[in-house]
Amino acid sequence: MPTKEKTYEYSVNQVPPAGHLMLSSFQHVLLMIVSLVLPILFASQMSASPRFAASLIAFSMLAAGLGSIIQSVGLPFIGSGYLCPNLCGPSYFSLSLSAAWTGGIPLMRGMIIIAGLVEMAIAPVIQKLRRIFPKYIVGLVVAMVGVSVIKPAITSFFGLAYHKDAIHNIDILIGAFTLMIMVLANIWGRGVIKMYCLLIGMACGWGLALIINPEYINSLSAIGKMPFFSLPVIGKEFRGIAFDIRLLIPFVVIALSGSLKSFGNLMAAQKISEPALDTVNFTPIRKGLLADGLSTVLAGMLGGMAVDTSSSNIGLAGATRVVSRWISVGAGIIFMLLAFFPKFVTFLSLMPKPVLGSAVVFSGCFMLCIGLAEMFRKEWNQRKTFVVGISLFFGLSTAFLPSLYARAPHFIQTFFTDPLPTTTILAVLLNQLLNLDKLFHRDKQETV
Amino acid sequence: MEQTGQRVTRTAAILICLALCFGPAACKHHHGSLDVSMYQHRDTKNLVHFVYKAAQRLAKRGATGIEHLRKNRHLSKKKDMYLYIYDTHGNCLFHAGMQNLEGKNLFDVTDKNGKPIYQLLVQALANPDNPHAWVHYSWWEPGKFYPAPKSSCHFKVTAPDGQTYIAGGGLTYPHEEREFIRIIVDQAVRLLREKGGDALDQIADPVSQYNYREVRVFVLRPDGELLISPDINSDFSQTNLLAIADETGHKPFQAALADLAEKDTTWQVFMAKNRYKREFTKKSLYMRKTTLNGQTVYVAAITDLPEPPF
Repeated sequence: MPTKEKTYEYSVNQVPPAGHLMLSSFQHVLLMIVSLVLPILFASQMSASPRFAASLIAFSMLAAGLGSIIQSVGLPFIGSGYLCPNLCGPSYFSLSLSAAWTGGIPLMRGMIIIAGLVEMAIAPVIQKLRRIFPKYIVGLVVAMVGVSVIKPAITSFFGLAYHKDAIHNIDILIGAFTLMIMVLANIWGRGVIKMYCLLIGMACGWGLALIINPEYINSLSAIGKMPFFSLPVIGKEFRGIAFDIRLLIPFVVIALSGSLKSFGNLMAAQKISEPALDTVNFTPIRKGLLADGLSTVLAGMLGGMAVDTSSSNIGLAGATRVVSRWISVGAGIIFMLLAFFPKFVTFLSLMPKPVLGSAVVFSGCFMLCIGLAEMFRKEWNQRKTFVVGISLFFGLSTAFLPSLYARAPHFIQTFFTDPLPTTTILAVLLNQLLNLDKLFHRDKQETV
Repeated sequence: MEQTGQRVTRTAAILICLALCFGPAACKHHHGSLDVSMYQHRDTKNLVHFVYKAAQRLAKRGATGIEHLRKNRHLSKKKDMYLYIYDTHGNCLFHAGMQNLEGKNLFDVTDKNGKPIYQLLVQALANPDNPHAWVHYSWWEPGKFYPAPKSSCHFKVTAPDGQTYIAGGGLTYPHEEREFIRIIVDQAVRLLREKGGDALDQIADPVSQYNYREVRVFVLRPDGELLISPDINSDFSQTNLLAIADETGHKPFQAALADLAEKDTTWQVFMAKNRYKREFTKKSLYMRKTTLNGQTVYVAAITDLPEPPF
C-alpha cells in the first residue's frame, strides 16, 4: 500500500531534537550570511577603518539575530511565529549610504529608526486590508518575492563582486555543480539528505571551489588577520543619533516598500507553514510586520544596517519541509553569537559567491512556484488575466528598463521602484477597479 | 532508521562545530609574489596576472620566449586582453593583437589626443608610486576602427641574455579603479615637492599622465582657491570647491580638508546625479596635503566607485 507523503519533517510549532535544531539553524545561517556583503560593501564605500567595518558587521548581525528571535519565538503581541529570519535589507543600502555620507552614522541610525517606526505604524493597517487581498493576489505577491531575489541570486551565481565585472567559467561550473547537488539531494534524497540538501550542496560546492580555483584558497588568508573573539567597538562614529528632514520622504518610501516586501514574505511563510488555511490569517502577518519594524528600529539603535525579512530562508523552509519556528530562533541565536567571533564570520563570508548564489536560486524557486500555484489554484477569468498581466508588465518593467524610469515624472518614480512593490500596488488597485461593476450589482440587488 | 538519522545529524553537527573552531586557524597565507589586493575589479586583477606571468616567462627565456609566442599567438591573446612586448628603445617586438605593429618603432606614437603612449609607459615604469606601471590612453580594438579608452599595465624584465624587455597588456573600456587616482595624485605630490610651482603646468597638461578620460588632478589652497581646476584648463571661472555640496547635501571637499588637518591623505565619497540612472552615481575623492613654496596646498582627483552587482 503506498504511504502518504509526510507534509512536514518538523511543523511550525514542533521543537526538533537538539542535533537537528542546530544543523537546521546553521543551514539557515549560511543563507543569512549572504546579506553580510552589504555591511562589508558599505564599509568599503565609506573608506572606513577595519575596526569600523568589524563593528558595523557585528551590530548588523546582532540586529538581524535579535529580529529573527522576536519574529519567531511566539511573543504575545509581536512576531508572526513563523520561520522567517531577518537579514540586512538590500533595499535600504543606497539610502543608508546617502545618510551616512551626509551626516555620518548618527544620521543613518536616526533615519533607520524612523523607517522602522513607519513600518510599525503600517502593521495595524494591514489587518484592515483583508478584502483587497484575494487569494490570487496573495499568490502573485508571493511569486514576486521570488522574483525579487533574482538579481542577487544570479549575480552571485556568476561570482560577480561588482557591476559589469568579469565572469569566470570556473565560477559557472562551481555554481552549476552546487545547484545540481542541492536539487538532486532534495528530489532524490530521503530523511537527513533531503532535510540538509542546501547544507550538503554548499559544502560540496565550497569544497570544489577550493580544489579548482586558487582564488578562493588565497582569499582564506584574510581569516588569519581577524581576532578569534572581539566585542564590537562603539567608536566615535557610532555615537549619537541624528535626523534630517530632507531624507524623510526617501526613507518613508523605502519603509513602505520594505513593508510590502515583508508582507509578501510573511504571506509566503504562512502559506508554507499552514497550507490548510483557506483564507489569509492577518493576525500573524500584522504581528510579523510589527516585529519587522521593531527589528529595524533596533538596528538603528544598535548602529547596524536596516534589517528585513529573508525571502530565501522562507524558500528553504518550503524546500526542506522543515518549518519549525524554533529553527529561526536558533538561527537568530547563532547569528548573534557569531557577531562576537570575527574569525568565523570572515570564514563564512568568504564562501564562494557562486555557492551562495546557487543557494538563493534554490530557495527562490520555491517562492516563485508556491506563489504561482496559489495564484492559479482557483478558477481563472478575464478580470484576473488583466489584473495580473498589467501589474506584471509594469512591475517587471522596473527591473527590465530601470533607466526608463530615471526620466519619468517624479510621481511615477516614487511608486515604480522595484518589481515587488510596483506589482503589488498595481494589482491591488486594478483588482478594485475591474470589480467595480460587481459592487454596483450588489448595491442594485440590495435596493430591489 | 530514525536512530541512524539522528546519529548522522549529531556527527555532522559536531563536525561543523570542529570545522568552525579549527578550520579558520588552519588556514595559512597563500600570497603569491604578486599583490593585486589594491584593485577592486576582477578584470583589472586578471590583466595584471596575465601580463605578470608573461613577463616572468620572458625573464626566463628571453628572445626564445618571444619566438615561442610568435609561433603560438593564441597563448598571448584572450577574449578581453592581449600581450605586447617592446624593447627599451620603443621597438615593438611582439604584438598579439596587431601583428602589423611588430618590427616598428613606436617611441613617438601618440593617441588621438596627443598622448605619447610609449614615453608615458617608460615614465610609469620609473615611477615608484605606480608598481604595475599603469598608462591610460585611447586606442582601438583589433579589427575595429573607432577609438576606445584603454588602461594598460607593464613589467620590465631582464632576460638571461642581458636584454631588457617591457611586457604589457591592456583593457579596452577599463573599470575605473581607486588605485589609478591614488597613483597620479601621489605622483603629482612628488613632482610638486621636487619642482615647486613649475610642476603645475606639467600636471595641468591634458596629455600628461595626470589627466585621463574624465579624471584630472587638481590643486587648491586651504581657502578653496584653485591652482589647477578640476574641470577646465584655465582659471577663468573660480569655483569655491569648499562650498560645493553633493546631491545629498554632503560637502566632500570641506570634509576632506577637515580630515587632512590630522593626517596627510584622505578618501571621501560623494554622490552625483546621472540623468539616465535612477540611483546616484558614487564618486570617490582622493586628496593629499603638501606644501608649495612654503604654503599648504591640496592635491586631489576624483573617480567613479564600483557599483554593487545588483
